[in-house]
Amino acid sequence: MKIRFSSAALLLFFAVTLAFFSVSAPRFATASTVENLMSGYAFVAILAMGQAWPILVRGIDLSIGAIVGLVGMIVFDLSLIFSVPGYVILPLALLAGALAGALNGVLIVYLHLQPFIATLATLAAYRGLTYSISGRQLVPGLTTTPIRDPWITGIETYFDLGGSIGLSRLINMPWFPLSFFIMLAVFALLQVLLLATRFGRDTCATGGNAEAARLAGIRVGAVTIAAYAISGICAAIAALIMVARFTTATEALGSGAELTAIAAAVIGGVSLAGGVGSMFGPAIGAFLLGAILIGLTLQGVPQFVQQIITGVILLAAVGYDRLLVLRRQRKLETAATGAGR
Amino acid sequence: MNADAPVLRGVGLGKTYGNLAALADADFTVRPGEVRALIGSNGAGKSTLIKILTGAVLPTRGTVEIEGQAAPLGDPLGMIRRGVACIYQHSNLAPAMSVLDNIYLGRQPTRALGIVDTGRQRREALDLLARHDIDIDLDRPVGSLPTVKQKEVEILKALALDARVILMDEPTGWLAAADVARLHATVRALKARGVGIVYISHVLDEIFAVCDTVTIMRDGRIVAESDVAAIDRPTVVRLMVGDKLAGEASGAALQQRHPRGTGVVRMSARDLGKRGVFGGVSFDLHAGEIFCLTGLIGSKRTELVRTLFGSDRFDTGTLEIDGRPADIRSPQSGMAHGIGFVPEDRHREGLMLDMNVTENLAMATLDRHRRGPLLSRGSMARAGRQAIDELSVRPPDGGKLVRLLSGGNQQKVLVGKWLGRNPRILILDEPTVGVDVGAKAEIYAILRRARGEGAAILVVSSDLEEVMTVADRIGVMVSGRLVATHDAGAVTQEQIVREIGGGTA
Repeated sequence: MKIRFSSAALLLFFAVTLAFFSVSAPRFATASTVENLMSGYAFVAILAMGQAWPILVRGIDLSIGAIVGLVGMIVFDLSLIFSVPGYVILPLALLAGALAGALNGVLIVYLHLQPFIATLATLAAYRGLTYSISGRQLVPGLTTTPIRDPWITGIETYFDLGGSIGLSRLINMPWFPLSFFIMLAVFALLQVLLLATRFGRDTCATGGNAEAARLAGIRVGAVTIAAYAISGICAAIAALIMVARFTTATEALGSGAELTAIAAAVIGGVSLAGGVGSMFGPAIGAFLLGAILIGLTLQGVPQFVQQIITGVILLAAVGYDRLLVLRRQRKLETAATGAGR
Repeated sequence: MNADAPVLRGVGLGKTYGNLAALADADFTVRPGEVRALIGSNGAGKSTLIKILTGAVLPTRGTVEIEGQAAPLGDPLGMIRRGVACIYQHSNLAPAMSVLDNIYLGRQPTRALGIVDTGRQRREALDLLARHDIDIDLDRPVGSLPTVKQKEVEILKALALDARVILMDEPTGWLAAADVARLHATVRALKARGVGIVYISHVLDEIFAVCDTVTIMRDGRIVAESDVAAIDRPTVVRLMVGDKLAGEASGAALQQRHPRGTGVVRMSARDLGKRGVFGGVSFDLHAGEIFCLTGLIGSKRTELVRTLFGSDRFDTGTLEIDGRPADIRSPQSGMAHGIGFVPEDRHREGLMLDMNVTENLAMATLDRHRRGPLLSRGSMARAGRQAIDELSVRPPDGGKLVRLLSGGNQQKVLVGKWLGRNPRILILDEPTVGVDVGAKAEIYAILRRARGEGAAILVVSSDLEEVMTVADRIGVMVSGRLVATHDAGAVTQEQIVREIGGGTA
């Protein structure tokens, strides 16, 4: 698909950003920056890849930050209050994320709600639910108890790949966090799902022209619900990574994550007009955003200025997307009149 | 041929929307290897019938059988599985996806785990291309193809199904003459392979060129069925438009026409153009006349009149109003020049459905009801009562929500809203779509009254019956060009039909 900001161009822009900060920011070009980027933005990439699915079916999922919070609290409660073993908690967490996401889809399909409104409502509802089931408030004394289940804390593991293959003797290699490999696995799975399966093609068709999809016999409602469920599962995975890192969950876990994820997805070329996108773009988009924010921090730019910059980047990405859509429409119109003669 | 059992058969099909019957008691059959034309004016019920047969619409009554077996209604997938494919008037493709993906939309061959078998998909597609002698790049996104090629993708989509019946809804509406011939060759090839085809078209030449049998619809009913060989054009036209109108049209007793009205030119367009949309459009619109622009859907009539009103801009040419150059940049400046505009989609663009009749009528004339910074409800109600009376809106209740009125009465309110401004120029886009026959006549009467008061009226209409009834002069648009203008009294409907189709025969 040559009509999009291509993956190659995105990678090039990523490389230019890295080069820029390597020159301009002190201590940017170091192993620890790469490590920070991988461990601090792998879950953002996962959220962005999940977010891509609702956007692909011409919707949006504002509730993913709240789902992160909810799943995080479920993990907290199961582990610390009910002492459920970690190998049971992991699938339950994914199931909770899938259900929370699927509920978004059900509201949108069966109640014909606007995705923006439906997920704004569930954002509030899921966050409120997180507070009401919070083990931190229900059981006094748990606030300071860390989660020690090895199945969960094991997610926060680092691998000294450089050391094991002997490369560390030559250069200072970063340690690779497990979350980075989880991100790669999610990427591989979702990319195959999107590009090589019937379901993936049906998803693009639903977002590209829902009426055509319906008339081709595609079950548009089921596809839409599944897209939101995928977004929910990705939020659950992100929640597990964050809980493992902090060895606890708070009621505010994941607040505002939806904006970063939407920004990363749109920067990664997932069109808000629906039906166009890949998994590669959102992943790179997340790390691009991460590189920019880490670079700015090292340059000493204050936090609030970084937030302004994130906003500007999101606006620029959405504006560029609009431009591409308009250009495509104009091309279509020209083709139509050209043929009429 | 009649010995064959029908491949597709609808019995007693009907569909009502609210209190409007779009289709009533339709029996319809297609046999293998038969090309059946389905014709009728706009709103005659053709599209509704087609949508029932494809499963896109659930009929209110009746049954559909495919090869003698009852088919599930309102189930697109069920119809496709049973071999009924449709090529729609408007594109039904996903523009960002490749040609290959579009051909197999929703039913790609898969291997284990739902992985698409791209190898097999491509082999089958190439085989299909070779068999039907069609040349197309399977990997191009459909959105980047010209319209002709997009039509071919839709045909390929139907062919890939091994469809036993293909419904074609105005398949040539967007095509140039050479491409029409090409499409007809494809239709004959399909017929030879025993596929049943339903061919909808406004262009009679095409019917006589390619169809075996013809079904004629009017006002939601099937009024005639015949072999094409056994029927002639005047009969077809008479059946399409109805005896009464045909009689009127042939007699000179039709209501008075006023070509060029009072002779005063209100609006004068010279060589108007908008890049990629329309071009070289020149005409004069006179005070006291009704000028109808007709043409196929997609001939850019709507785009042209939107530009005249100012909701779009034109790139080239000049526009004069009352002899002075007019630079209309926005609907506000259009209104300042005395133009009123009744858009095609009254629900989306014309009316506030959840406000009442009085409020809607006052919408364009709020200035008149101002008392200082406030609006006078009393003044609005008085104006409303008068307008309701003049327009004979039923029920005559200014407090009624517009949503609750019938289509015809909604349209009267919309027209009345603009007439309240006493516009010097009134532009109406498809003023009677979805309006019943009685209300149509009333709307025509309202337009004639406004004409009598000296307004210049420009009507865009696809409904030839309407054009022949109401027009003083007729302009024909084809593909963004105004190809002909006629005095309505000096031209036949047949000639207009020929010009609309772009045919020369």
